[in-house]
Amino acid sequence: MSALATAAAGRSGRPKTGHRVRVAAGVFACVVFLFPVFWMVLTSLKDQRDIFTTPPTLFFTPTLEHYIGYMQRADITRRLINTVIVAAGAGIVSIVAGSMAGYALARIKLRGAGTIGVLILLSRGVPPIALAVPMFLVARKLGVTDQHITLILAYCTFLIPYVMWLMRGFFLALPKELEESAMIDGCSRFGAFVKIILPISLPGLLSTLIFSMILAWEELLFALVLTNRYASTIPVAIAGIAGDTVNGANWGALTAVGTITVVPVVIFALLVQKWLIQGLADGATKG
Amino acid sequence: MTMAAERSARHSRSRTWTRLGDFASRWSFMAPAAIILGALLAYPIFYTIEISFSRFDLMTFSAVEWVGWENYAHVLDDYRFWASMKVTLIYLALALPIQIALGFGIAFLINAEWRGRAVVRALFIIPMVVAPVVAGGVFRMILDPLWGIMNYLLGLVGIGPLDWFGDPNLAMAAIVIIDTWRWTPFVVLIATAALLALPKDVFEAADIDGANWWSKLWSITLPLLVPIIAATFVVRWLGAVKMFDIALAATYGGPGGATNVINLFIYEEAFRSLRFAESAAMAVIILVLTMILTGLFLVGTRRLEDHY
Repeated sequence: MSALATAAAGRSGRPKTGHRVRVAAGVFACVVFLFPVFWMVLTSLKDQRDIFTTPPTLFFTPTLEHYIGYMQRADITRRLINTVIVAAGAGIVSIVAGSMAGYALARIKLRGAGTIGVLILLSRGVPPIALAVPMFLVARKLGVTDQHITLILAYCTFLIPYVMWLMRGFFLALPKELEESAMIDGCSRFGAFVKIILPISLPGLLSTLIFSMILAWEELLFALVLTNRYASTIPVAIAGIAGDTVNGANWGALTAVGTITVVPVVIFALLVQKWLIQGLADGATKG
Repeated sequence: MTMAAERSARHSRSRTWTRLGDFASRWSFMAPAAIILGALLAYPIFYTIEISFSRFDLMTFSAVEWVGWENYAHVLDDYRFWASMKVTLIYLALALPIQIALGFGIAFLINAEWRGRAVVRALFIIPMVVAPVVAGGVFRMILDPLWGIMNYLLGLVGIGPLDWFGDPNLAMAAIVIIDTWRWTPFVVLIATAALLALPKDVFEAADIDGANWWSKLWSITLPLLVPIIAATFVVRWLGAVKMFDIALAATYGGPGGATNVINLFIYEEAFRSLRFAESAAMAVIILVLTMILTGLFLVGTRRLEDHY
C-alpha cells in the first residue's frame, strides 16, 4: 500500500506537496493539543515570580517548591492514597462483575438478555446527578458517607455497564469452539470461563481495567457529594484550589497537583495505548 | 412396570436438578452485575422519583408527605431552570458538531503515511486522560485575562485582550474550547480507525474515473462514514449531557449563570441550597429527556446504518 502511495506521488508530483502539508498540519494539531499539558507541567516548575510575568516566560530556573509545599500537606497525600484505593477498588469490582455479565450477554442464552442489553445501553445515559441526590440521602441515613466503599460502589454504577459492553465485544470476537471443547472435556461453564476465556482476553481485560480505573480516578461529582474529609479524593482538592478566588489564583499549587494527578494516568495510558485505541474503536462501533 | 415408573421418576427428578443447576449457572454470570446495578442504579432512580413527588423535611432529612406535581410546577416556573436548560442546549449544539468535525478532520491529517504516524496518534491519548477538573483549572490559567498565555498569543496577532471569564459569550466559548480540547482526541482516535478501515478499491476506481478530491469526499468518503459518525455522535452525546467538572472548575457557572449547565445547577440547588425536592424533580426531568433523546439517537443510528 505504501509502495502504491509513493508511486502515485511520483507520478504527478503535486500529491507530494499535499502529503507534506497534510503531515505538517497533523503534527501542528498534535502540538496544539499537547500544549496545555506542557504548559501545566512548565508552570508547576516555576517560581511564583516567574508565573506572573508578561510576556509569559519559557526560560526560568526550575523549582520544586510547589510540589514540596503541597506534598507536605497531609490532606494531599491522604487524598492521593484515597484516590488510589477508590480507583483500584472500583476498577476491580467492575471488571469482575462486568466481564462476567459481558460473557453472559455474549455467549449464554438467557431469556430477556436482549432487554437487559437495551437497559444497559440506556443506563449509560443516566445523568449522575439523578443518582447523586438519592445516594447522598441514603448514605447519610445508613451512616456510610465519607467512606471508600461508598465511593467505590457509586463508581460501579457507570463502570459496570461500560465494562460489560466492552467485554461483550471482546468475547463475541472469540471463536465459540474454545469453550465448547473445554466443556466437552469436562470443564464447567465457569471453569471454561476462568481457564480458557479470561487468559485469551487478557489484553482486553487489562486495557478495560486501566481505562475504568482512569474514569474512577478523575471522577468529581460523586466524590464531592459522598465524601468530605476522610475519604476525599484528588479531583475534589483540585476543584477547591481552582475555585479558591479568595486567596487569589494559586497557579503553582493548581499545576503541581494537576501534574501529580495526570502523570501516572498518562504513563498507564501510553503503556496500553495499542489496546486502548482498539477498545475505544470497538466500544464506539459496537456500542 | 413399577421398575419403569421408578426409573422415569428418578430420571425426571435428576432432570429437574440439572435444569435448575443449569439455570443457576447461566444466571450466576449475570448475578453480580445485576445485583449491584439493581441496588445502586435502579433503587436510587426510584428514590429520586419518590422525593420529586414529596415534601422534603430537612429536620428528619427524608421525604415526608406526598405533594403530587407541586415540585415540578415550582421547577417549571423557575426562570433559572429555563436559563440553565438554554445554556446546556447552546453548549451541546456548539460542542458536539465542532468536536466531531474537528475530530474527523484531524484524523484525516494524522492518517497521512509517514514514519511518525503511530507516535502522533499515541500522543493524542494524552488530553483524553487529563481529568476534566484539571483541564478546567489549567485552562482557567491559560485563558486568564491578565496573565494567561492565550491572550498574550492573541495579542501578537492583534486580537484582544479578551475578557474570557467576564463576558457571557466568551465564557461559553471558553467552556466549549475546554470541552473540545478534552474530547476531540477521543473522536480523533475513533475516526483514525474508521478512516483506515475504508475500502481502498472504491477510491482507486474513482481515481481511474478521474473523480476530483471534492467529489470523492462528498460522494464516497462521507456516505461510507455516516454510520461511524452517527455512533461517535451518540457516544459523545452520552458524555456531554453529563458535563459538570469543566464548568465547575473553569467558571463555576458564571458570569451570571452564562455557563451554568443543568448538572451544575441541580448540584447547587441540592447541595448548596438544600432544595432536595426541587432538585429531584429537575433530575427526573433531565433523566426522562436524556432517555428519550438517547433512545431516538440510537434508533436513528440504526436507521442510518441500514440506509447506507
